[in-house]
Parts: sequence; structure tokens; C-alpha cells
Amino acid sequence: MTRTASDAVIDTTTRRRLGFGFWVSVGWLFLIIGVAVLAPWLPIADPNETGYGGRLDGPGWAAWFGTDTNGRDMFSRTIWGARVSLTVGFIAIVDGILIGGTLGLIAGYFRGAADRVISFVFFALLSFPGLVLALLIIASLGSSLMVVSMTLGILSIAPVGRLARAATLTFAEREFVQAARVLGSTHRRIMVRELLPNVMIPMSALALLGMAITIVAEGGLAFLGLSVSDGFSWGKMILLGSSPRTLRNGPWVAMMPIGAMFLTVLALNFAGDRLRQYLDVRELAF
Amino acid sequence: MIRFLARRLVALFAVLLAVTALAFGSLNVLGDPLFNVVGFIASVDCDAVLAGEIEDISGQTAGGRGDCEVIQAARKEHRLDRALPVRYVLWLGDIVRGDFGTSFKNEMPVRQVLADKLPKSILLMTVAEVIGIVIAVPWAIVAAYRANRRFDRASTVTSFGLLAVPNFAMGIILFYFFVVRWQIFPSRFEDTDLAARLKSMVLPGLTLGLPLAATYQRLLRTDLITTLQEDFIQMARAKGMTDRWVMFRHALRPSLFSLVTVFGISTAGLIGGALVVEQIFSIPGIGRAVVEAVIRDDFPIVLGSVVVIATGFVVINFFVDIIYSLIDPRVRRDD
Repeated sequence: MTRTASDAVIDTTTRRRLGFGFWVSVGWLFLIIGVAVLAPWLPIADPNETGYGGRLDGPGWAAWFGTDTNGRDMFSRTIWGARVSLTVGFIAIVDGILIGGTLGLIAGYFRGAADRVISFVFFALLSFPGLVLALLIIASLGSSLMVVSMTLGILSIAPVGRLARAATLTFAEREFVQAARVLGSTHRRIMVRELLPNVMIPMSALALLGMAITIVAEGGLAFLGLSVSDGFSWGKMILLGSSPRTLRNGPWVAMMPIGAMFLTVLALNFAGDRLRQYLDVRELAF
Repeated sequence: MIRFLARRLVALFAVLLAVTALAFGSLNVLGDPLFNVVGFIASVDCDAVLAGEIEDISGQTAGGRGDCEVIQAARKEHRLDRALPVRYVLWLGDIVRGDFGTSFKNEMPVRQVLADKLPKSILLMTVAEVIGIVIAVPWAIVAAYRANRRFDRASTVTSFGLLAVPNFAMGIILFYFFVVRWQIFPSRFEDTDLAARLKSMVLPGLTLGLPLAATYQRLLRTDLITTLQEDFIQMARAKGMTDRWVMFRHALRPSLFSLVTVFGISTAGLIGGALVVEQIFSIPGIGRAVVEAVIRDDFPIVLGSVVVIATGFVVINFFVDIIYSLIDPRVRRDD
């Protein structure tokens, strides 16, 4: 028990390194993004070709991840599912950063009334059960890839914006900003040229963590019957494999996409967490 | 303290207003309220019928009323002839008076539907929180007691892994092993007596509770390690108290602050998870009710549920703020 003090010292000295695990995570992310992008040119089966193998063949040499109830190759489907899941996650978080980041920057820079209004909007958005809001929007507007991504983007506005605001607040009174102001820079120039690059640094960690959350949220929507209608995501694949009958006869149909999603979320979480510690970001309340 | 309370209360009501307006507005703007009440005859052009330009193609409805009569009755009943903000205020007035309206589909009072569904969801969340706390507290104590040793490192990896399992994936995995393979638990919700209900809640509770336990463990462990380095702990130890006494009587309580906060936030956050988990384990709770109602365009049920969920969410956060300010007086000087 007396060791804790010295251990804390070790903690602080090792903090400024990204570490081996970070690079493993990044490696996995590059691999999965790579195969997702290259899917049409990879020598894999057509993901929609029924009867590629038998019904619910187990994993083996012919089909590495087995086949589903329609004899479609699960390995190929897992790769194609990554395309949709990653696209949704990416668009959503970019969306959140564009809108939330801008609002947060404005709130943190101008303070006063603008800050109060924007902070209240963030607070109200955070008070709304996110998945219910997503449900309302998607049920009315349909579940195309764009609608789903944008909706999940809306959900990430508040957390992203709060971080951007907090980060802006810490930089807005610093010397380099005052110097720019004295030199006669416009508000817009100060925000874009001086503050934005500094605010983007902590946001990069949040982008990784946020992408993990969005990918999971898209999967959750699939279970509410509102998955992306054009194409199939990991979430939809898991849903298709989750009926008791399929689970009993071919658990791999659900477990393979679960595994892919788990590793991806794990990698995003780990890389984001490492990056957050490395950059020493404190206000990461997601 | 009074000023702090007053400010929080004002914020509470402001947020409730904003959230209800958002829900009411999005349903009315994104959807077509008239269509949802009367169905496809909503497209009949009543102005033209009244002007005698076209004939009312009636006969679809019982009682021999014309389509336009039906439409006008519906417009009146659901106040669709009023402007949207007026409708919102009137609707809010009804809600405050406890009148949630009736379901479009089966004419059941929304209040009755909610009263039927809500206890199941609350039971689910309670079970999840109990599981989370019961696992997390001893786990964190053991991990912090030997910080950075083998058990602590292993549990850090475990909790990190648990947090990367999406709730539906956790549900499917538990379902696969405990229902399909080993058949220990029922596959559907059994509503016969309390014992059966609790048994049906074990797997959904674990699905939501395990990631919670991981979150709580990480928080409490960090706080415990910090507390254990404080002078008063050294003092207690110097006086010859046992490790166990120091841990439970001195270190645990001051380390519970972050846990209390996150307990509140996560209870609110469970609502979203519960939505999905109720689907997987077929629990007839409020989450399932919302999903079904959204898909069937049953606005009164959707709105009623959203109001209840959002109110619960906001009120829980309100109390967390209060409790937190009681524990740590610095919070009162906030903003």
C-alpha cells in the first residue's frame, strides 16, 4: 500500500509517451479503413451473393468467417459492413466538429450573451435522451446513409461544442491572442488563425472517442429497426445474426461483426484515450 | 445556497421547456400530424369540397360522415387549426395537468400506458445500477489497495475491454450463452411474479451493468489512490490502524465524490441503452413503447414517453448537482 506514492511518480513520467498500444490501435484502424476503402477491388466474394457457400457453414478455409443463413460469405460482408459503419462514424463526427466546434469557438471567444445562449443550447441537447432524438428524426426523414450520419452528427454537437468552448476559454486570454488583437486583427482572423489551431489539438482526441460512440450508436439504431437502408452496417449484420435460431445454429453470423466492431471501438477508445493523456486534455466529458 | 438552488431550479425548468419544445416541434414539423390522426384521407382538399368544386368521396368511415367532417373534427380535437406555438402551449398545459392524451392506435390513455411500462424500465435500471455498484466497489478497493500490481493492471485491461463492447453486442453475447446454449434464463420477459420478473432482469441488467461497473471501477480506483496518499491516511496508519480499517473508515468516503456524480449522469444515460436492451430481451418497458410508437406514428405515446424520459433525465441531473454541491461547497460558486 505504501507503494502508491512512488507509483504515481512513475505514472507522471510515462505519461508523455503515446506507447506501443497506441500504435497497435492506429495500425488496426489503418488496416480496417484500408480494406473498407479497397473492398470493391479485393479478391473477396460478392457480399450479396447468396449461395456462395452452404447455409450457415462454419468458419473454415472456403469462408473464413463462415456463411450466413443465405449462404453469403461473412468475411466479405464484414469488410463491406465496415464501409457503412466507418462512413457513418466519420461523417457524423466531422459534422459534429464543424457545427459544435464553430459554436463552441464563438461561445468561448465572445463570452457574454452569445456564450449564455450557446451553452444553454448545449445543455438542452445534452438533456435530451440522444437515441430518442435520433429515433424521432430518422423515423420522419427516412434512414438513408446521409440522414443517419447527420442525425448522429447532431448528437455529437453538444459534447464537441462544450470541449471547444472550454479549450477556447483557456486560450482566449493568452498573450498571442492579445498580441493579435493589439495588431488590429479582426475577430474572425483571431478565431481562425490563432484559436482554431490550438482548439483542434484536444479535439483530435475527442474525434476518435466520438467516432467510437457514433459507430456504436448506429448499431443501436439497427436494433431499433432504423439502420442505414442503403447497404448494411455491422449493426445490421449483428441484428440479422441475433435471432435465437441463427444464434443456435450459426453464432458466427453475429459474433464476427461483433468482433470487428469490438476491435474497432477498442482501438478508437484506446488511441483516443492515449492521445488525450498525451495532450493532457482534462475537459473530455463525453 | 438558496441562490444556488434557485438558479438551478430556473435552469431545470428552462431545459424542460426547451426539451419539450424540441420534441413537440420536431414531431409536428418533420411529420404530418393530420395524416397520423385520420390516415390517407388527410389529402382530401376540404376547402374545395366546401366550395362545392369537388365531391366529398365519403363512405370510408363509420357513421356515414363525410371525409371532411372527419378531418374537421380531427383538426378541432387535435387543435390543428391553431398555430404551432399555440398548440405547444396548450399541449404543455395539458401535460402539466396530468393529461397526456390518448393513443392514436388503440385509444388507450397515454397515462395508463406509461404507468404500465415505466415500472419495468425503472426496475431494469435499478437492477443495472445495483449490479454496477456491487461489482465496482469491491473491485476498485482491491485494485487500489495494490495499485499498479498485477491484479490492478489486469482489471484496467478488463474494464477498458468492457467499455468497448457495445450494449447490444453484450446483450447478444449474454443471450447466446445464457439463453441459447445453457438455457439458464428465459428468452422473454416473464411477468408472473416478482421472482420471475427479477430473473428476467438478470441478463438485461448485466448487459447494462457490466459497462457501468467498468466505469465506476476506473473512477473509484483513481480517487482511492489519490486519497490514500493524503496526510490523514498516513496519520491513521501511523497510529497503527489496520489496512482494512483505514480503507473502509477513512479512505472510502472521501473517494466517493466522482462516483456520485457519474452515478447520476449514467443513470440518465442508461435510458438510451435501455431502449436497445429492452428490444433484445423483449422487455415491455418504456423504451420499447417509444420505438413502437415512433414506427407507428403514435404521437401521443411518443410525446408522453419523451416528456417522462427527459424529465427523469433532467431531474436526476438536478439532484446530482445538489448532492454534489453539498459534498463540495466550491461547486456553489459555479459558472
